[in-house]
Amino acid sequence: MAFIEGKTVSKAFGALRAVDQVDFHVESNEILGLIGPNGAGKTTLVNLITGVYPLTEGEITFKGERITGLRPARISHLGIARTFQIVKPFPGMTVRENVVIGALFGKNGAGRSTRVAFQEADRWIDYVHLHDHRYASVDQINISDRKRMDLAKALAMGPELLMLDEVMAGLNTKDIEEMMALVRRINEELKITLLVIEHVMKAVMSICHRVMVLHHGRKIADAPPGEIVKDDRVIEAYLGERYAKARRAS
Amino acid sequence: MFLQVLLNGLFLGAIYVNIAVGFSLAWGVMDVINVTHGTMIVIGAYVTFFLFKTVGLDPFLSIPASMAVLFCIGYISQKYLLNFVVKIGIFMSLVLTFGLDLVFINSVLFIFTGDYRSVTPAYSGTFFEVGKMTIPYVRLATLVICIVLTGLLQLFMTRTRTGQAIRATSQNRQAAEMIGVNVARIYSITLGISAALAGACGSLISIVQSFTPFEGGFFIMKAFIICVLGGLGNISGAVVGGLLLGIVETMGARALGTGFQEAISAIIMILVLIFLPKGIVGSKYK
Amino acid sequence: MQRKNTKWVMLGCLVVLGFVALPFLIEGYWVRVTTSILMYAIVTAALNIIAGFAGYAAFGNIVFFGIGAYTTAMLMLRVGFPWWGGVIVGGLLAAIYAILLGIPILRLRGHYFAIATLGINRATEQIALDWGSFTGGGKGITLPLPKMEIQQFYAMIYFIMFGLLLLTVLVNFMISRSRLGYALRAIRDNEDAAEASGIFPARCKITAWAISAFLTGLTGGVFAYWFSFIEPATVFDIMIAVKAFVMMMLGGAGTVLGPVLGAFLIELISETVWGKFLTLHMMILGVIMVAVVILIPKGMLDMFRRKFSLAGLWRNLKNQAV
Repeated sequence: MAFIEGKTVSKAFGALRAVDQVDFHVESNEILGLIGPNGAGKTTLVNLITGVYPLTEGEITFKGERITGLRPARISHLGIARTFQIVKPFPGMTVRENVVIGALFGKNGAGRSTRVAFQEADRWIDYVHLHDHRYASVDQINISDRKRMDLAKALAMGPELLMLDEVMAGLNTKDIEEMMALVRRINEELKITLLVIEHVMKAVMSICHRVMVLHHGRKIADAPPGEIVKDDRVIEAYLGERYAKARRAS
Repeated sequence: MFLQVLLNGLFLGAIYVNIAVGFSLAWGVMDVINVTHGTMIVIGAYVTFFLFKTVGLDPFLSIPASMAVLFCIGYISQKYLLNFVVKIGIFMSLVLTFGLDLVFINSVLFIFTGDYRSVTPAYSGTFFEVGKMTIPYVRLATLVICIVLTGLLQLFMTRTRTGQAIRATSQNRQAAEMIGVNVARIYSITLGISAALAGACGSLISIVQSFTPFEGGFFIMKAFIICVLGGLGNISGAVVGGLLLGIVETMGARALGTGFQEAISAIIMILVLIFLPKGIVGSKYK
Repeated sequence: MQRKNTKWVMLGCLVVLGFVALPFLIEGYWVRVTTSILMYAIVTAALNIIAGFAGYAAFGNIVFFGIGAYTTAMLMLRVGFPWWGGVIVGGLLAAIYAILLGIPILRLRGHYFAIATLGINRATEQIALDWGSFTGGGKGITLPLPKMEIQQFYAMIYFIMFGLLLLTVLVNFMISRSRLGYALRAIRDNEDAAEASGIFPARCKITAWAISAFLTGLTGGVFAYWFSFIEPATVFDIMIAVKAFVMMMLGGAGTVLGPVLGAFLIELISETVWGKFLTLHMMILGVIMVAVVILIPKGMLDMFRRKFSLAGLWRNLKNQAV
């Protein structure tokens, strides 16, 4: 039984099927990459898993238990955390306070005093190398730091499954390298299972154990990174039908 | 008898539509909840009253005057005050206009005192009959004018450059800015138009009821209920909502007496807010 | 850091002592004025819990004041409750009202919530007016008079109000440092992100509103006992709520002492300078409201913290403008 799996997961917004009959699974301790052209339904799938949207169809089970239909806060308490594509910080608070929210209300947060929670928050701020900015207000830090803060907050929630939504978007080359190393450490040191939505192919190829491809809401491929790049359907989805045909012809 | 009640509801509804359309315009286009809208209506009524009392101007003819006065008030309020809080959030506009409302009410109170006023031209009570129904001329004229104003607004929004600019800005402020729309000016014009509509409404209302500087709160509640019922920024929504409220209230007053009318209105609004967040007609005017 | 803290604590103790000594130092009229100021401070600080911390602007929060007042009045008059019994039950009923209404209403977004609370206040006021047989309707209710010498009574009320204010400030302080406080601020800043972080917004909001309602209800009850006469127009008066809102914003919404400072400032000026000119008074309140929203939306405390400068203010204005 997979760590988390979904069967025929679908989400329709009126006539638009953003996610269409997707079967997926993530094994324990795995890093699953989730890729696909813009609008493929990747973030929607993550929103379905975290309970932000109700499912139109299908089931999702986490560690053997049905989580379909549960409220987002409840799902967080079960051990699932995520970062956001466009970082959603708490603008009125400092970096440290943002992270402490995760420590206070995440999986292990119940009953924690604020003092202990702040210690926990400091630990995660150090882990993502954000120590120098911890008293800064959110609007004073740059995008790379904001992504780290979002990551620290998610880690402070004590998740067993962490879902990153384009955590490398907007970062420069050096920051991408650092983020890649960080993600690997999270997986190897902390034994956290990861689902990573990414467009930065370099990152996907080198850190993911397996890659799932969505296109128009449907899953079109599911294989290790090496095979994915050679898959015709994937190439067609990204680069278009004519290119794929031409490539096949040559 | 039933038809008479329906007709009365229609007359009331026409005024409600007029109240709501202006209010909804500001809200839909700029995310500004203009709490002063009610008092703007009252100011319109006072303008008509003033002209009637001093130069004997027929109230219907004073409509352009009250519209002009209110346009200026709205334009200036937006340009020098509201334009500074539009970006902060819809809630701040609520607070600001609340404060501005206090200023308006007390200014009017200072000039005109708190006595009940009304405008009573010679033809006030006249009516004609169709079958068993009584149709007061004033009410009929009010209905016609409300229809005309709403129609003119619709034409303005769809057929003029400024109207199109307003609609574009309402959909996407940044995009409108990028194609060269002067957003600050457009917003000022929008509130000006919204206020002008309130002014016209006030002129019409001055003939059918007596008023004090404090009448505004009553109108604002109606406006809010109608916008919630009919969906925001939506002319057709305001029309449907206004007529519906007018008819329901008139029938309710017949059945239950006017006492509980206010409470019922408030409760209806709360219920709609809870259960129909998008209103009866639909989502934001696009 | 330690030395700075002790300095503030000592200042605080001095202020408290000053207030405790006040009734013995000044004459009756000013004691009543100060009591009124204290009352506004309590209502504002209670409002701060739902509007400042949680960011849910309950414009109609005064409805709980009215409920507290009416409950106290009716229990004292009809059932012979002692005043403190009536007041406490009044507070509890107000809290229950908040919980029941909060369940549907707190789901609404900012401005909708604000206006819905106005509607609730109006509807409740209307019920008090229309249900004459039960509530005395527009004629109001006269409470049993206190059995003590009048100046003593006023002094006692003063101390009760002061005690309530201390309680409310203490509650604010405790919330600000507690899990609930952090949850509320997260909800205020970004409700979706708060939920994703494991916060149950509904529970937190309802709790905050219930606490706010309880404190406001207690105050309404004491008010009823103090004035011995209440009617719908006074205890459901939306102007009190609006003033409280301005006071809270002026002082700094979401801070512990800001609302109290704002209340004192505005009420003090109100009473001493403009008490005579009602029209001007209301108008100036309106002007203050407009000015606060445009110039110092975060309140005075924040302004002092950031070292107020005219240039900075101008810069802010230009950034804010459309």
